[in-house]
Amino acid sequence: MAYGFEATNDNGKVIINDTVENLHFVSKATRTGDDGGGYSDFPQYSSGSDYLDGRVIHTYTVSCTGTPIVFIKPNDYSRWHAIIKQSVSSNTWTFQVLISGTSTSNPPDLYCFVNADDIPVASGDTWGMQVFKSDGTTKTFDSRKQPLAITGGGSVSHPSDPTDSSGLPGLTGTHDSSSIHFWNYSNNDHDFRSTTRYNEYSNTNINASTTMFSCPSLAQGVHERTQKGYKVSTSFLNPDQHHYSTALWWVMYRGVFRLRSGYFDAGWNVYIAGYQFTSWWTEGGIFGGGGGNITAGTRPYTPKNINMGSNSYIIADSSRYD
Amino acid sequence: MSYGLSIFKADGSLGFSTADITWQTLDQFTVAANASVSNTYSVPTGFEIIAQRQLVDVPPNSQEDYAPNVTVSGSTVSVAPQSGLSSSQCIVHVLTRDP
Repeated sequence: MAYGFEATNDNGKVIINDTVENLHFVSKATRTGDDGGGYSDFPQYSSGSDYLDGRVIHTYTVSCTGTPIVFIKPNDYSRWHAIIKQSVSSNTWTFQVLISGTSTSNPPDLYCFVNADDIPVASGDTWGMQVFKSDGTTKTFDSRKQPLAITGGGSVSHPSDPTDSSGLPGLTGTHDSSSIHFWNYSNNDHDFRSTTRYNEYSNTNINASTTMFSCPSLAQGVHERTQKGYKVSTSFLNPDQHHYSTALWWVMYRGVFRLRSGYFDAGWNVYIAGYQFTSWWTEGGIFGGGGGNITAGTRPYTPKNINMGSNSYIIADSSRYD
Repeated sequence: MSYGLSIFKADGSLGFSTADITWQTLDQFTVAANASVSNTYSVPTGFEIIAQRQLVDVPPNSQEDYAPNVTVSGSTVSVAPQSGLSSSQCIVHVLTRDP
């Protein structure tokens, strides 16, 4: 270069220059509360395979100019984490962070970084080094706020099946005499937990004490298990009385991440789940009974995965910003 | 260290130096719902570019919030809805580094 400023690291790689902005630490986000946790099992159901991974949603806010890049620093590295929602009002950003399990203890810390040109600097803080672009006004580096130093990164994606049982849950039984399930049969046989369902990415710079990561959660999956039951009551005096039932368990998952020593894992965790049971019958049969129906629970989604493409993650050492 | 650049915090501890590696911000932009964007950047030859997507104001229980696809080809970053699908508003962070 003919003019300006450029710093290269020990490997000759550019880390500061006058054309591209560095990211600088603004602050940790403030945790404002949690939702109390839940979904360790299916609501309104208690029989076979009634277990889920559970989850807690913590809410955080941070005020800053510019759009922050946020790192999650787990305080329990055995749990899965992800930012599942972010919104902004004026200069205040709000983040919802999903964590596996139901304990509200050990919420993570959120470290927020913005461009050099957006960092807040106290009026009396007048020493240090700044680097500007050739326009003379856009700051690319400011030593008064800690610059981001990364320790690794890569590209990750989630496995297509979030459920621990082999294969995706599906439908068994029919609403006719060939059904393998009797009327009103309801006994889940699919393990909807996600303990073993993740893609692991080797990264020797990850430790389970100070490493933090930035990787927005985009992937989402909905999967359901359906059991259809049937019986018929026949009579010479009355029309056949047909009995039908449908039991359905559904889970909406969100893509989540875990840091292990030497690995970055991309997996799944329950966000919400439900159980719906419907039973109905026609009139007739031996006793000439009337028709009727009962329904409990809802089925608000249809099974599918979305946003399954790869996303970029970066990691850094949180202890530099404490 | 005997050469290079060290930058210290106010408490005198080392904050950043030429022993470090970093990603720098090439651009940040918001892509409106269903919109397509393609930006070409001027970066030194050989610099690596990645893009992070963040959906904004998306309810986490909505099943139809699709993130747009992002492709990086050389120094061009292109954002477009997934084929046949509507996409939600999305923030794209374009980061670069000397690999």
